[in-house]
Amino acid sequence: MKIVVKLNGRNREWEAAPGATLLSVLRDGPQEPRMTSVKRGCETGDCGACTVLLDGQPVNSCVVAAARAHGHAVTTIEGLAGDPLMTALQAALVEHAAVQCGYCSPGMLVSLYHLLKECRAAGTTPGDHAIREALSGNLCRCTGYVKPVAAATAVAATLAAVGRAEAGAR
Amino acid sequence: MWELKEYRIAGSIGEAVAMMRRGPGKGVYIAGGTDLFLFPPACDYVVDINHVGMSNIARTPDGDLFIGAAATLHDIATCPLVTGFAGGLVSAAAAHCGNRPVRTTATIGGNLCNALPSADLAPALLALDAVCYIADEDSQESLPLEEFFTGPRRTVLDGRLLVGIALSAASGGWRAAARRLTRSAEDIALVQVAVALEIDGDRVGAARIALGSVAPVPMRAMLAEALVEGELIANLDPDRLADAAAIAAGECEPIDDHRASAEYRREMVGVLTRRLLASVLAGSTDTSPGTDNEGGAA
Ligand SMILES: Cc1cc2nc3c(=O)[nH]c(=O)nc-3n(C[C@H](O)[C@H](O)[C@H](O)COP(=O)(O)OP(=O)(O)OC[C@H]3O[C@@H](n4cnc5c(N)ncnc54)[C@H](O)[C@@H]3O)c2cc1C
Ligand code: FES
Ligand code: FES
Repeated sequence: MKIVVKLNGRNREWEAAPGATLLSVLRDGPQEPRMTSVKRGCETGDCGACTVLLDGQPVNSCVVAAARAHGHAVTTIEGLAGDPLMTALQAALVEHAAVQCGYCSPGMLVSLYHLLKECRAAGTTPGDHAIREALSGNLCRCTGYVKPVAAATAVAATLAAVGRAEAGAR
Repeated sequence: MWELKEYRIAGSIGEAVAMMRRGPGKGVYIAGGTDLFLFPPACDYVVDINHVGMSNIARTPDGDLFIGAAATLHDIATCPLVTGFAGGLVSAAAAHCGNRPVRTTATIGGNLCNALPSADLAPALLALDAVCYIADEDSQESLPLEEFFTGPRRTVLDGRLLVGIALSAASGGWRAAARRLTRSAEDIALVQVAVALEIDGDRVGAARIALGSVAPVPMRAMLAEALVEGELIANLDPDRLADAAAIAAGECEPIDDHRASAEYRREMVGVLTRRLLASVLAGSTDTSPGTDNEGGAA
């Protein structure tokens, strides 16, 4: 079947099997370029390695029909390269040594990006609980969670400081 | 890979049912797909119901709450209309399901139509007198949620579409609390209990005790409810609550499995029912299920 999506800001036409998952179409094609940041882990919605944004909301692409994306916007890490918030999160993960094999990293980054974006829109700063909740769908087998949480906390604190400075300048 | 011949996208409720009935072969509705992709059923086509206008959440003029079948668990967890209804019992149940990305697409309709004995929204909805609205090609039906489930993974639907759920605003307002015991936070529940009481001055009006994971279908403990319903609050002393809890424990039909024994589940129905009744009567509306593991309940 034909599926028309806005992938990372650009209109695309996919040819996909009716029973295909969003994960399989993004990662395996047949259309190029393949979004290899979207990892295949459990394929049961548990590990979060396949997390992408569907209309700005995080979804596990392994339990979402590719056809569900028809007429909608899909965002992967590839589409957020160079985005200042994403860049800050990536740098923080590296700085806090939160990346070992890195298989979980794209999914974690999508989840954290969504959280911080949502908080920024609401003018709030996520606390420890909100960060852990946002990461609750992302399993990491190497690093664990303390370092990713610390990295996100650091970025959230920076954003809050920037927000205060901007408010002060106005 | 799920071998489907066709993915049909419906644009209205009528069209969805017509697409389902049209054949050829066997079809299933798909909402979030979070249950379907885990265990894809053998079928020829699916009918996508995410674009038929069933995602709405609304309060009616008389205070009832309507939740469309395609409303997502994230919307239900966060919508002020739901968090503000009956102490947030239903939104707390939704907030507990799965993880954030799953809740983006998973729907209330899928949770109920999948009809697992452990469906996490079922006890909260049963405790608030939920009514199901069901559509066929040229007819509509409504029935109480307790008549909706006919067995594990079986419902009354038979090709019809669940359109939504309505919860009645008890005249005095519901006071409610719920608990869910699990081995770990992400595991299927061992025992779920939800209690809702309508407090009418110095009396209990309607009383609801709903149980999950302890019978072939989510159920109400109606004999236990009868012991509490209409009673003066002053008469509901600890002995009376213990009696009601013991009756609830007798009403359920749990099984032994690798998660827990039937005996343990039955015992916990009693313990949780007693504690929840006491905490609701004491005015607490604790609806944070699932954060406790065994032993830490209520
Ligand atoms: C990682 C993960 C964690 C989960 N955790 C939980 C949990 O903690 N608690 C819990 O209860 N569940 C959990 N689930 C199960 C699932 O997410 C929920 O049951 C969810 O609400 C299903 O909704 P859906 O829209 O995705 O259903 P779908 O998969 O789209 O559909 C499920 C079934 O319902 C039918 N159906 C759907 N909508 C309708 C309708 N309106 N009318 C008629 N039939 C319909 C479909 O044909 C199908 O048979 C989890 C799932 C995953 C993948
Ligand atoms: S691969 Fe999708 S959640 Fe694990
Ligand atoms: S760094 Fe290897 S899984 Fe997280």
